[in-house]
Amino acid sequence: MNQELIEQYVAGRLSEDHAQAFEDYCLANPDFARQVEYEQRLKAGIVEVARGTTAEFVRSNHPLHLRLAAAASVLLAFVAMFYFWNPGSPAAAPTIMAAVTDTTPRDGISLRLALVRGSDTAPALPAGMVRVEIVGLFDLGNQYSVALDRLEQNKKIDTIATLNDQHPSSPVSLEVMIDSKQLRSGLYSLRVRKQASGEEALDFGFVKF
Amino acid sequence: MDFVPGGELSRRIREGDVSAESELIRQFEPGLRVLLRRRTGGDHGLLQDLVQETLLIVIQRLRGDGIEDPQKLAAFAAQTARNLAIASLRKAERQRTDVDSEATDRNADPTQSVDRIASDLEAALAVRALLRELPQPRDRLMLKRFYLDDHDKELICQELDLSEAAFNQALSRARRRFRQILEERGFAKRDLLSLGL
Repeated sequence: MNQELIEQYVAGRLSEDHAQAFEDYCLANPDFARQVEYEQRLKAGIVEVARGTTAEFVRSNHPLHLRLAAAASVLLAFVAMFYFWNPGSPAAAPTIMAAVTDTTPRDGISLRLALVRGSDTAPALPAGMVRVEIVGLFDLGNQYSVALDRLEQNKKIDTIATLNDQHPSSPVSLEVMIDSKQLRSGLYSLRVRKQASGEEALDFGFVKF
Repeated sequence: MDFVPGGELSRRIREGDVSAESELIRQFEPGLRVLLRRRTGGDHGLLQDLVQETLLIVIQRLRGDGIEDPQKLAAFAAQTARNLAIASLRKAERQRTDVDSEATDRNADPTQSVDRIASDLEAALAVRALLRELPQPRDRLMLKRFYLDDHDKELICQELDLSEAAFNQALSRARRRFRQILEERGFAKRDLLSLGL
């Protein structure tokens, strides 16, 4: 059995007889079956990511585009700052996610998120203004960005709020405030990335019922 | 993993050897997941149910009457899974009626819905991480053309001005990294995500 056959099976290009023979072989060869399952999951993941948009597949690394994107980001950041932090503005939208400050009460509702192997359940976000403690290994000398993604079953993964320049509260925790009532029911993920580094972001999932 | 011949597994299970039942599960589960994943349309809950049901039926059969040709145990398990998938599909067809979809959304079972989302989430998050890492826009486009648009390799190579060897190498690298991401995050064992401590 070779990779080409796996590709044909996953793409649904084998005749039913050949597909059944292939499956019988998978049952007799668990290691091979695992290889096939990764291929199935890669395809499924790509389909899922592309449900709402295929932008992630076609974004360019061209420096000009990066510069334009950076310029647009700065402009958007200014617009967002004006929009969110102008207390007199009647159109100011409620903040979904905010930084924890010295004045944030410590005795409120809280949720602790950590990457734990062996868990297949996502923790539930309590109602109200929730202090979310993200547990991990953090570098106190660095700043982190925290993005809140909503994961929709048949749609793209939407980033609905982002906080930049966050400092960890300790080497093992970084905290943000999330206003639960601003979120619809569903599955969410907090994506934490060390700024100015090439390190991969970490995703911490939770559910809002 | 050492493969234990169907005949030997069948004999040991019939004789009441519980460890043989565990071996059967370890041996057949990956293949059953492949077979049933193709037939359950991304419904992870259904996939899990059917894998378990298949294993249970096979074990009960081996504990009792046994099967006609124990050497063909893998084929028997595969056919059992196919039959269960067909039965499940028929059941779903029978239950399909004109529904008030808004009312269905309002009354959706959140547990089931979350589980179904989570099944896609694991692979989707890993794909997103993979896409972020791929340095060449061409590599991302190649994945899209191959997995999403189902284009032939030859056509993709022409479009992206790639040799077949370069295509295979890039694809193989992407596959390896995808698997690595899943394993690093513990997704491979479906023990995703986080836990409120």
